[in-house]
Amino acid sequence: MTHAQEVKEIIQALVKAKKNLRIYPENNPVYARIVDDIHSRITSVLEYTGELSLKIRQHDIFFDGESVYHGDGKEENLALFFFKDGVRELTFNKGLPRNEMEDFLGILAVDFDREALDDDIVTLMWEKDFRFIHYMVDDSILLEDETYEERAVEEAKKASQDNEGILQAYREASSIEAGPVTHVVPITDADLDHMIREIEEDTDDKSIKLIHLLFEMLSQVGDTAEYGELAGFIGSALDFAVRHGNLDAAVYTLERIDEETAGDGCENEVRARLEDLKRFMCSEDFVSGIAEVFDEGTEFDEALLQRFASLLDSDAIPSFIHVLGELRSAQARRAVISILSELGRKDIQSVARGLQDRRWYVVRNIICILRQIGDATAVEHLVRAVRHPDKRVKKEAIRTLGVMGTADVLHVLNECISDEDELVRLTAVRAVGLIGTPLSKKILLDRVADRGFRDKTFNEKREFFEVLSRWRDDDVVALMIRALKRRTIFKRAKNTETRAAAAHGLGMTGSADALEPLMKLKNAKNRLLRDNVQAAIKRITGEREKRS
Amino acid sequence: MRERREVDLRLAGKTIINQLGVVLRTGQIHDIDNVAVMDAVDKFIRLVNPVIEAEGLLKIDVIGEFFYINDSRVRYPLEYMLNFDYLLREFQRRELGTVVFGARLETDEIKTFLRVFMSSAYSGTPYEAMEASLEECTNIRIDRLKKITEDGDMDQKKIVKKTYFNAVSFTESVMNRVKAGEKVNMKVAKRVVESMVDLILSEEQLLVGMTAIKDYDEYTYHHSVNVSVLSIAMGQKIGLSRKALTELGLVALFHDIGKMEIPKEILNKPSAFTEEEWSIIRRHPYLGARVLLKLKGFDRTSIRSAVVAFEHHLHYDYSGYPEVRNPVKLDFYTRIITIADQYDAMTSSRVYARVPLAPDRALRIIMERSGSELDPVLCKFFTNMIGVYPVGSLVLLDTREMGLVYECNPLFADRPRVMIIVDGNGRMTEGIIADLTERDTEGRYLKSIVKTLDPNRYRLNLAKYLL
Repeated sequence: MTHAQEVKEIIQALVKAKKNLRIYPENNPVYARIVDDIHSRITSVLEYTGELSLKIRQHDIFFDGESVYHGDGKEENLALFFFKDGVRELTFNKGLPRNEMEDFLGILAVDFDREALDDDIVTLMWEKDFRFIHYMVDDSILLEDETYEERAVEEAKKASQDNEGILQAYREASSIEAGPVTHVVPITDADLDHMIREIEEDTDDKSIKLIHLLFEMLSQVGDTAEYGELAGFIGSALDFAVRHGNLDAAVYTLERIDEETAGDGCENEVRARLEDLKRFMCSEDFVSGIAEVFDEGTEFDEALLQRFASLLDSDAIPSFIHVLGELRSAQARRAVISILSELGRKDIQSVARGLQDRRWYVVRNIICILRQIGDATAVEHLVRAVRHPDKRVKKEAIRTLGVMGTADVLHVLNECISDEDELVRLTAVRAVGLIGTPLSKKILLDRVADRGFRDKTFNEKREFFEVLSRWRDDDVVALMIRALKRRTIFKRAKNTETRAAAAHGLGMTGSADALEPLMKLKNAKNRLLRDNVQAAIKRITGEREKRS
Repeated sequence: MRERREVDLRLAGKTIINQLGVVLRTGQIHDIDNVAVMDAVDKFIRLVNPVIEAEGLLKIDVIGEFFYINDSRVRYPLEYMLNFDYLLREFQRRELGTVVFGARLETDEIKTFLRVFMSSAYSGTPYEAMEASLEECTNIRIDRLKKITEDGDMDQKKIVKKTYFNAVSFTESVMNRVKAGEKVNMKVAKRVVESMVDLILSEEQLLVGMTAIKDYDEYTYHHSVNVSVLSIAMGQKIGLSRKALTELGLVALFHDIGKMEIPKEILNKPSAFTEEEWSIIRRHPYLGARVLLKLKGFDRTSIRSAVVAFEHHLHYDYSGYPEVRNPVKLDFYTRIITIADQYDAMTSSRVYARVPLAPDRALRIIMERSGSELDPVLCKFFTNMIGVYPVGSLVLLDTREMGLVYECNPLFADRPRVMIIVDGNGRMTEGIIADLTERDTEGRYLKSIVKTLDPNRYRLNLAKYLL
């Protein structure tokens, strides 16, 4: 195969790579194979040619004076892809490393039509600072006025010139006193250290600085029409900052808005614009930007999130509730929940409105938030949430009522103890126990005394006795002992389960009165009963020993 | 395996040059057998031998102001600057251009090299002395420093001129577009600045020299480019990356864009401004920031450009304008650009300040303002970059010749290259370039500057000589 044919094949491989590399992510094996293939093709040619130089024209690529590629039209024309940005020659040199090849192919795959880039191919190659890929560029395409240099030089040269001036300078030179000389102060190690620190501290994102200056500018504006424009700039800078993970910029802006609008010194027009800005920060558009950053995995300090939320208006609550349902990562949801928990303190009703969201997982998160806020006014909304068709929501609401509720909600929880879903029932039993009033105890005792109790699963029965054990009252212990001792002819298996659950409950009470009846059953034939009895004895005696 | 070595060489280059600097500096202070010297030599050998094994040899070249290792330009970080500058100066003093280590180095060989290098400093012909002393040492070969040929100089100068005027032409079109409310092509802006960065990295003095010519009609466009060039050169001196230099250059190019919003009749007023006109002029930083924020969507460059445009007259001590209620530390780029801006403005003829200052006078003012209006550490970097006698300075030599400083020598700040325009007999000449670092066989300088004159006082047209 001739060199030209080999180069033709390389160009065809580049054309294919240009399309295919857009499809696969960089960590995909296909992507790596494409890079390897082209790299090995080019290095094998370079092995005996030393360099591979391609001349670029609008529709053709030439190698050694021979066209190795021809492309018509604008789309998919590899020659034009380079030509349009001024690349006229492209040379690969021997020693080309794979990483440089990959970087080059990465640039080749950029879809300039779709990606709004401020960089062209030449800039992208320039930034890579290739060592083994060289290119020649025609910069005249950048010029609007090609004769500029010629004209400027001509004008400058004719500006003012006469030899007499020079000769006069020469004549006067010896008589003119020598002026002071500026001594160059040597740069010291301390200067270098200082400069290194400056460079290190010079962050990429200057949004906060710009926002600071825009606030300064607001105070200098003479024309009220400019207020809106400047506030718009602050909004855009903020949007940019937040979308790049700089939540400090949002905190800073909110602090400045509060500062500027506090007191009577702020002009009405400025106040109105700043209030607009604050409204913008509550908008779904702005909040979505924050949510995206959370979802990208950027981690934020909890204190920063809290500070941000504390400065926002409650108008932001619906926007945050909206994005809560859009988030993909648990970490992002945690961040938004944290913000809403702080923000919700300002307007519990707005958060509670989130309970009407059609997405069950949002409703569940809202319940969590209401629990974290702990405002008793949320209880009435939670009571409604208990009737949510999704059992996951239902459980969360019941649990939250247990944490936040008072005796007023016991009737609702009592209903839930009859729910058809066992997990819901168990949650309700625990919630009733958490409320811990005498009525709670009564509800549970009544349920245990009910005939239907025997038919419940062992788990559920155990839950009842465990929850009841928190009272440690005589009547509770007595009820449990009765249940432990009860023998029946019918449904013996179910009864044994009840006895085992009662044994578990007695163990939890730690009551010494329970020891005797428990001891009698420590060698019971039924394993479930025996195990629970023995565990209860161990627990009670262990506790007693600890106390003594 | 080969690929890995290539990449390593690029990284190792700066460490090797730095360590050679350490070896020679330590050798200058201590006896060659001193532990400190031996440690430095051992470290140098440990760095060099793997490269020699991989590459077959190690060749250190000095070309212009840069080191090359095995033909690869060595870029160095700021913390190595002192050793790099020292080494470059010592190589140039001895007219040493190349050192080749042909095979694995032994400690004794480096000790010999060090001894020869040190003792050559006392010879009137240091290069010859080194060459003779190293004759027996077959593993180390040296070559004389090559002068950059005039032809090469001319080609480079053409490229430099083209790049400079492309930038001015582009700036003019940007400003006109801004005025007309049209969009600005940032891709082109980046390309223009990248070309300037490339030239600063390879031909710093030539491009900086272009900023000394002030005889153009369009002050604002040239000023913007000059500030950009001087800022990039300063950024290069303090060790900014290529990408950061591009950003700095772009930001500098747009620092005065607010002037486009000032009525032309005020901007071009030939007489002194009234207080009211000044107050309008003083709005250009504010207007510039606004223009830049409207130019395109918000990104890092547009945000930084707006910050710098707003701050560039604020001053390091906040004594400037616009007035601010809550001063915060000026942006790093602002502090660089302010120095470049003030220097170029002082040395330019503007409509409202017809007589520009002589470059050396402007430099003195810059130093006077160091610590008050200007960042003191950056001022040091600036004067080190621009030299005691900036390009365009009119100087009288001890040979009674008169000339224009044509190119500064960053290593010998008081010994620039000078274009002789009047010979020792008072006759105009064709503009021969004299390098003031040249010495006679006894080591005495051939020519030295005795005084500077103000080129503006004699209406000297620098464009005629420097373009």
